[in-house]
Order: sequence, then structure tokens, then C-alpha cells
Amino acid sequence: MSQNHPLHQTELAQIQSQTRRHFLGWGAGGLGAFFLNSAMAAPAGENAALDFTRNPATPLSVLPPQFAPKVKRVIYLHMGGAPSQLELFDYKPTLARFHGHDCPESFIKGKRLAFIQGIPKLLGPMFPFHRAGKSGTWISDRLPHLEKAIDDLCVIKSMKTDQFNHAPAQLLVHTGDARTGHASLGSWVTYGLGSENQNLPGFIVLISNGGTTANAGKPLWGSGFLPSVYQGVACRSAGEPVLYLDNPKSVSRTQRRQVLDAVDEINRQTYKDFGNPETVTRIAQYEMAFRMQLEASDAMDIRREPQAVLERYGAEPGKTSYANNCLVARRLAERGVRYIQLYHWGWDSHGTPVDQGLNVGLVGRCRETDQPTAALLADLKARGLLEDTLVVWGGEFGRTPMWENRGGQEMEFIGRDHHPNCFTLWLAGGGIKRGISYGETDDMGYEIARNPVELRDLHATMLYLLGFDYRRLNYPYQGLDQKLTGVKPARIVSEILA
Amino acid sequence: MTGSSISGRHSGHLSAAAYFGCVALLTLAGVGLAMLARPAFGHDMLQWIGLESVPQAQAASFYALRVAPLFETRCAACHGEKRQKSDLRLDSFANLLRGGKHGAVIRPGDVKNSELAARISLPASDDRAMPPSGKTPLTEDEKTVIKLWIAHGASGSLHDIAGAPKPVIEVEIPKLDPAAVEKQRAPLAVQVHRLQDQFPGVIAYEAQDSADLEINASLKGGAFGDTDMQALAPLAARIVRADLSGTAVTDASAPVLAAMVKLKSLRLSGTRTGDMTVHALEQTKALRSLAVVDTAVTAGALAPFRARGVTVYGDGDGP
Repeated sequence: MSQNHPLHQTELAQIQSQTRRHFLGWGAGGLGAFFLNSAMAAPAGENAALDFTRNPATPLSVLPPQFAPKVKRVIYLHMGGAPSQLELFDYKPTLARFHGHDCPESFIKGKRLAFIQGIPKLLGPMFPFHRAGKSGTWISDRLPHLEKAIDDLCVIKSMKTDQFNHAPAQLLVHTGDARTGHASLGSWVTYGLGSENQNLPGFIVLISNGGTTANAGKPLWGSGFLPSVYQGVACRSAGEPVLYLDNPKSVSRTQRRQVLDAVDEINRQTYKDFGNPETVTRIAQYEMAFRMQLEASDAMDIRREPQAVLERYGAEPGKTSYANNCLVARRLAERGVRYIQLYHWGWDSHGTPVDQGLNVGLVGRCRETDQPTAALLADLKARGLLEDTLVVWGGEFGRTPMWENRGGQEMEFIGRDHHPNCFTLWLAGGGIKRGISYGETDDMGYEIARNPVELRDLHATMLYLLGFDYRRLNYPYQGLDQKLTGVKPARIVSEILA
Repeated sequence: MTGSSISGRHSGHLSAAAYFGCVALLTLAGVGLAMLARPAFGHDMLQWIGLESVPQAQAASFYALRVAPLFETRCAACHGEKRQKSDLRLDSFANLLRGGKHGAVIRPGDVKNSELAARISLPASDDRAMPPSGKTPLTEDEKTVIKLWIAHGASGSLHDIAGAPKPVIEVEIPKLDPAAVEKQRAPLAVQVHRLQDQFPGVIAYEAQDSADLEINASLKGGAFGDTDMQALAPLAARIVRADLSGTAVTDASAPVLAAMVKLKSLRLSGTRTGDMTVHALEQTKALRSLAVVDTAVTAGALAPFRARGVTVYGDGDGP
């Protein structure tokens, strides 16, 4: 846990350790909890923080949301690098007409662009578009599998951000702030709701295409100022799912148990001496890791799936792939994991190296992700899980309607620059309208023309679906009741709610 | 001449009445000039001394509900109480109609000649665009609302304008009243607590503002069966969701399930339940979702549920 304001930190720690000692003394969830609930009732107020007091020995225990939720879990499919909305969902025939023309001066005058210099040319959509499904939602020919699920999607074409570099933009998407140090969405959700499965982390991160790192690094799933137990755990879909979880070769499970018992003994003595609740959390973490040795390997093991299922996803056991991660995501959802975060990297289609061309790289990313994403949606739907799961797909910003000309030069491969003004993101699942498009960009795909959605609006809407008023899911830190949505007013996007 | 000597004596001085008369005249002239130069000030004066009525909009009018909030949130920071750029205030119906330094900004019924309509329609890059570059621009819908309102006479009483974009609906967060919830929960509170201890992680309140319960035994797998369901029977009437996927529950639990009169969602996938269980649910009117993938339930038993709009998962062709 990061450092609070000193005075505040001391007070908070004192109160928490006292209350937690009470908890232990009275027995978890027993009359003690009852007494505390009434004794510690927060001062009345519309935006007062809700009571998230837990027995520190079970920091992930389930707490009911503020009001009846529409969804119980989230699967967030982040396409790292920012996929081009203009090649996938946001069809711009006018832009196509002006393909190859110099871009209007107003697009660049006084604007800060990441790489474009001089006067770039306009770049029309690279792939043909058509209307799909009963809803007639526009989609390009790059996503033929997802197209089958199009009537389950709510496509928001008017997302906006104020960050045009990957790392801060990704942080803004996942922590509500462009700087590091804030709690991630998954951490907030597991802090608020806990997790149903006490043998698995409540917040699991799965990464494909690009090793284990992200532009913004691990702060993307960090817990920031929230207790560290709520941070995301990055798991691997090949090899041991969690590094260093397995016992070393010569150590048996019994021996591991004995070691843990000994450590436990010492920790308990430490807690008795100093009363620091983080000690109890640590004991709980060791215990969870021990239980995870069995449960995590089972949850991650897609070899247990029938061949037909593997084929639907395009999953190949033993590999690290987005397809495998989608299948694992479904298995984790079934096992009560609260927040499942996938990252698939490589969507940064500048047109600099060949794999970053819209004509090559983006085509490849679509091929890697289209079938598994569609299979995941279909699978969740068939099992009845989609009705209480929220699936989110999107990048960290959009891409320019202008043809990138890095250094003012024409480039070998075709690409677009970073574009924070507008991008497309889709949602599917419980509480979300199905088969709709929300928001519009202008004819050139440069600015939002109708119904802008800020990331904080998306966050507020997601928390609402999970049963929270975003104002009341807060945490005191540095003299401020910290919220996922930050200090600016957010809006629950009522128009997309079913 | 005495008279002239008198007038001479008084030539450098005015009588008190004449003096005050002069001051009043000059003041009036000054005020008059100010009123000519700044019509807004003139209207202020006239309204202040009661010679002109202050235009008021009706509380439930299109103006009050749709237009005023836009001016308030997007314009009033610079054209309001604290700052009055170009002497223009847009923070009340009267101020809006009054205009600013350069005269009226709204000509009722005449969008084309309304400066305000023109300014909000300029591209963001234009120096004269409002709100100015860097501030959140008005959306197309918001511009349409303002222009339609001007076109329809900038009325303070008109309620509806045909063709106006739909009003934005804000989500209302249910009020949380812990005392009321505690009261609702009280009759079963002790039993709920006892059973929560007996079945850790299986029973939870649906929400902090609710006395309704959810059960999720799916993570217990085969370790949760009919006897356990029997133990939960006292809570049945409060249970709104039940996930029994993959548990050892069989048709023997049908009566307990039937007693869950508020049940909205039931998951039985991967259990050895069959048609008997499903038949027992026919009177559960609240049921909206039923998952029976990999069970012995047949398509025939599911038909009535599908007919009444329950979402059914699983096709009823057996495990």
C-alpha cells in the first residue's frame, strides 16, 4: 500500500487495526460484524463512502453491491496500441471521397499530433464496409466472425480521451487517470464486491502478443492507493499460470504446507505484537497462494476443454495466444472471478514497420482476435453467462483520418496517427442495449458530432451496471475521497442501458 | 440696477433648487447616454425602477428544461454572474433576451439573424466560435435544441417543440436507507447469518439496499446437494437468484425451488435435474432466466417457459 498523508495514515491505520482486532475477537461475520456495521455506519450523505469493512483474513470476501446489479463480472478485452476505428466500425464514405487530398488546415492548425508533420493527406477507409445483422450496424469486412454477434453489441463511436500517447492513454482507460498511482478498474471492482472464488485472485490479467509488458506497465492493473490485495494478478496461458506459484522440484505439497504453517505462526505472533492489519492480509495471501496451486492450474488448463470448443475459439493448448486467453477468460468467469482483463498488443498502425501497417499489421491483429472474441461471446451466451457478464472491447484512443507522414515523408506502409478526439469501443452483456450504435463522429471521422462519451462516463456506467454509484465507491487518500472517475463530473450513459 | 446687481451678486452661485436640478439633469443625461451605449444597462434600469417587466420563463417550459441548462453549464462561466464578457449574460431568460454590448444576441423567430445561433454554429477553429476553442463544444443535438427554440420564438412558455432531439435522461441512483433495509431483513436476519456461517460464500444479500438473497453453490460442485438445499428452505421466499450449476442437486430439491416464489434466475446446468424440477417452476412467475445445459430436462418441459418469455439456456435434448 502506498503512503498516505502521515496524520491521516496513522489515524486510518489505528482505526482499521482496532476494528479489525474487534473482528478477529468476535469471529468473522458473526455478531461482531453486526455490531461494527451499526457502530461504524458512515455519516449520512448522498456521496458518503459505503462501508467496505471486511475481516482482514478474507479480504476478497463478497460484499453486496449498493443496489441490485445488472452484471456480476467484467471481461475487458483491451486492444493495445489502439485499433483503427476507421477500418473496423466507423464507416466514413465522405472521407473515402476525399482520399488522397490534402487534409483541411483546421485538422492540423494549432493541434498537437503525435507524429504527423506538415500537411498530411486524407486516408479513406482501407476496407469495404457493410451493414450487418438485424440492427444494420456498420462493420468492415475484417471482422467476419464478430459480425455474427453484431446484434448483441452496443457500439459506441463517440468515445474520447485527452491523452494521445499510449501509456498515459491506457492508464486513463484502466485507472481513470493518466498518471501512475491510481487504482485500476479491476481493483476498484474487487475492492467493492470481493470475489466469489476464494481460491483464485478476484482480478486476473491475461496478455497476448507482446510478452508480458504493456506500454504503461503493471500500473495498468495496480491497486494504487487501495490495499495491495486488490491488484490484478497477471497469469500466463502457457507454462505455469502464475510464476513462482508451483512448488520447487524437490518440495512436496506437504512440505510447502509445513513451511506455510511455520511462517503463519511467526506472522500471527507479529500481528499479536504490533496489530498491523496488513500482517493478517499477508497471512491470507499465503493461504490463497497455497489453495491457488490447485485451483489456478485447473482454471487455466484449456486441455480440459472438448476439441470442438478449442476449435471454435481457435485455441491451441500450450501456446500463448489471444484465443487461449479468451477461452481461459470464459473458464475464469465460470469460476467466479470478478474481473478478467485481456490485453492483446500490436494495434499501433502507424505504417512505419510492416507489422504496423493498416494493410498488414491490422489485418493480422483482426485475424488473431476476430474468431476468439466471437467465440467467447457465443460461448458466454449459450451458457447463460452473458446476461450477468459485461464484455468490453476497445483500445486507448482512435486513429486519425489523415495518412501518417512521419517526418513529413510519404511512408512505405499505410498508417494512421494517434487520435484522441474520437474512437470506437463496444460493450455487450447484462444491462446493455443490444444491437445499437451510440454516438456519431463527423463526416471525416475527425471530431465527435453527437453524444460524446468520456472515459469517466464509461467508468461510471460500468460501475452502475455492477451495482454502484461511482460517487460512493471511494477511498480516502491524500485528503481526497478518491474515485475511479476522478474529480470531474461523470455521467452514466443512460442511452445505452437496456 | 438692483436687479442686475442682485443677478451679479448671484452670477457665480446657483440656488439650491437649481443646483440639484442641474445635477439631476446631468445624471439623467449620463444615464440616458449609458442606456443608449449599453442597452442591457438601460433595460436593467427600467426594470429596476419598475417601468419594464422582467421577462420570466415558465418552470416546465422547453426553455427551462432544455435550453437553460445548456446556457448554465456551457456559457454562464463567462457570461453570467461572475464574469460578463461583452456585457453579455446568458444566465437567465431576461438576460438572454437582453443581449450584450453589441445588442441583442437572439432575434426570436429569426435564427439566421441571431448572433448567438451563428456563433455556436461556427467551426471550433474560428476565432469567433462559442464556446471558444479549448472549451467543450456544444454537441449537434444541443445546437439543434437552441436553434429550434429560437426559431419557435425564443419562448419562455412553449412546452414542446416538434422535432427537437430527445431529452437526455439521467440515471437515478436508488436511495440507500440502511435503517429501512435492516427492518426488512430483520425477520430472517438470524437465520440468514446462521446459514451464511454454515455455507460460507453461498448466501449473499442481492444488494445493500435489499433484503432479497442470492445463492451461488456452483463453486461447491458435488459437495453441495439436496440436503443442503433442504437446509436453505427457510430462506426460499427471499431468494431471487440461484446458481446450482455443477452441484449434486437433483429433482429431490424441486419443492425447495418451487418455494422460491421471487426467483428471477435459476442455473441448473450440469446437474442431474430433470423435467420434474422444471415442472415445479411453472408457477414461478418472476422467473426470467433458466439455464439447463447438460441436464436431463427435455425440450417439451421447457416449451411453456419459452412461450412465456423466459430466456432458456440449453436446448433440452439431454446431457
